[in-house]
Amino acid sequence: MQLHTQMAVNRISDQIWEIPVTEKPGMLVPARIYATEKILTSMDSGVFEQVTNVACLPGIRRYALCMPDGHWGYGFPIGGVAAFDRETGVISPGGVGYDINCGMRLIRTDLTLADVAPRLERLMTELFRRVPAGVGSKGFVRADRREFDEVMRKGARWCIERGYGWRHDLERIEEHGCIPGADPSKVSDYAVERGINQLGTLGSGNHYLEVQVAADDRIFDKPTAAALGITGRDQIMVMVHCGSRGFGHQVASDYLKVFEKAMRRYGIAVKDQQLACAPFRSPEGQDYFAAMNCAANSAFANRQVITHQIREAFSAVFDQPAESLGMDIVYDVAHNIAKIERYTEGELVVHRKGSTRAFGPGRPELPEIYRHTGQPVICGGSMETGSYVLVGTDQAMQDTFGSTMHGSGRTMSRAQAKRSIRGEQLQKQMAQRGIIVKAVSMSGLAEEAGFAYKNISDVVETVDTAGITKKVAELRPIGNIKG
Amino acid sequence: MTSTFRFLEDIALADSAFEARGDTPSELFTAAAQAVIETMVDPQTVAPTLTKSITRHDRSLEELLFDWLADIVYLKDAEGLVFRDADCSVTNDRTSGEWHLQGTLTGEPIDPARHDLRADVKAITKHRYEVRQGDSGWIATVVMDI
Repeated sequence: MQLHTQMAVNRISDQIWEIPVTEKPGMLVPARIYATEKILTSMDSGVFEQVTNVACLPGIRRYALCMPDGHWGYGFPIGGVAAFDRETGVISPGGVGYDINCGMRLIRTDLTLADVAPRLERLMTELFRRVPAGVGSKGFVRADRREFDEVMRKGARWCIERGYGWRHDLERIEEHGCIPGADPSKVSDYAVERGINQLGTLGSGNHYLEVQVAADDRIFDKPTAAALGITGRDQIMVMVHCGSRGFGHQVASDYLKVFEKAMRRYGIAVKDQQLACAPFRSPEGQDYFAAMNCAANSAFANRQVITHQIREAFSAVFDQPAESLGMDIVYDVAHNIAKIERYTEGELVVHRKGSTRAFGPGRPELPEIYRHTGQPVICGGSMETGSYVLVGTDQAMQDTFGSTMHGSGRTMSRAQAKRSIRGEQLQKQMAQRGIIVKAVSMSGLAEEAGFAYKNISDVVETVDTAGITKKVAELRPIGNIKG
Repeated sequence: MTSTFRFLEDIALADSAFEARGDTPSELFTAAAQAVIETMVDPQTVAPTLTKSITRHDRSLEELLFDWLADIVYLKDAEGLVFRDADCSVTNDRTSGEWHLQGTLTGEPIDPARHDLRADVKAITKHRYEVRQGDSGWIATVVMDI
């Protein structure tokens, strides 16, 4: 087996590989990678280097983990999971990522492909008009600084109070769309200025809004799917992938600078400047956590405003209120975040960067409607292939700090993707396959071509077989909006 | 005068990186700013209708460049601006040891109908970030999060 590393990588099972602590000076725990042999051999050298760097951070517990969609990131690999002791461990902005609470939201409908197909072009035009995307796009919501402070504190709840959503939306969002402990005084004016006009916007890069189909033959667990509101029969679903926009990006940038200096004060040496961290209990650690929660809540609000706009667009095109179209949220879950969670080791600061929380059945954090199914996990594939809905398991609670994959993971550089295809050409090819794409940037579209990503089905099979999440349904795209 | 940049492919799979060069720090900063500008928009589609002036100082040339590039990202989000050109003068105060930057960015408010928009830069990062003086002038390596 030819790997992109010289380190010893031992097989624990067909889906779990371990790098022992002897492979790098300073490793406090082993590193574990979830992957099939095929996926492991395709992983870039950054994954092995970075996951073992994470294993050196103070207070880390059990393992530094990487999911099968893992690839090189800043400091932590994308797909990284690491849990640190709340009292003696660290918190690291590099373990969360620049796009704080980048996440996925899935909305169901009662509509079928037969209902939507004749109006798909109009629907995508309407969605493209109502959900701004691309460089520097601004949303329709106007908030002054006082109101934006409320967005930071209340997250999606602020939107519901303003009429951008339904009250029962909140139970279908991780943490009910509002993480406690957000403190706007820990956020710079610079960060607020970058984000205050961006509520309800997608951004660019790999962010998107997608109209999808749930076909009967792609539902793998019908009772669980039904509990999630996924009925099949070519049902129309809407998926959103975006985060905290310029606001969250600036919070991350601000605190990376703070932590660079703090590390010297606390005598912490790291193997990569982007792994800057501080003791969780230090003033700097607490300030970052409070600011990060502000950004996380703003991301929940962002996706909530987008949901409102999606409902408005469907309502306009189908000439019915969104309520009568059955447009409930299935779930909204973050994949770039640090949270306090309790495991056998006690209270831990669990970092997930390009990794999704996947709590198993019975956890009190889950809403009543999903307590018996396990938490819905939403994983977006490339815009050309498909996406998956899964549910969390007890196995994830035991093995991966209740965590799993988040998407398919890139394998090709943006420049190489652009050299391989032009945006206009890709848009045409996808139209021929029945997928309407509306994009602000044609070069940005080319960068997101399906061939630039791993096959999401291989990634999903890995986590399903490993038992850390169980697949429920695959969703096929028919319309996509990109920045 | 040599003030150039080229995008690098091998550094950041999911993101974007570049190497900028200049005979002087001023030329280096101008080239690096142009690389950030061109990551976000085709500058040929942007009209020079307004100018933003930026003054900064720092004891570290690395930090000064970092903040100057971060200003372009900030202005994109906070003021909704994209740019066509950058120009700047970077000088060293021998008494205090501080570096001083006086820069201008020329462009206009974002208009998706006219501008060929590219990637929305989230942040300038410290990954492999480097500013150095070589035999042939000043060189910087910068990775941007996309």
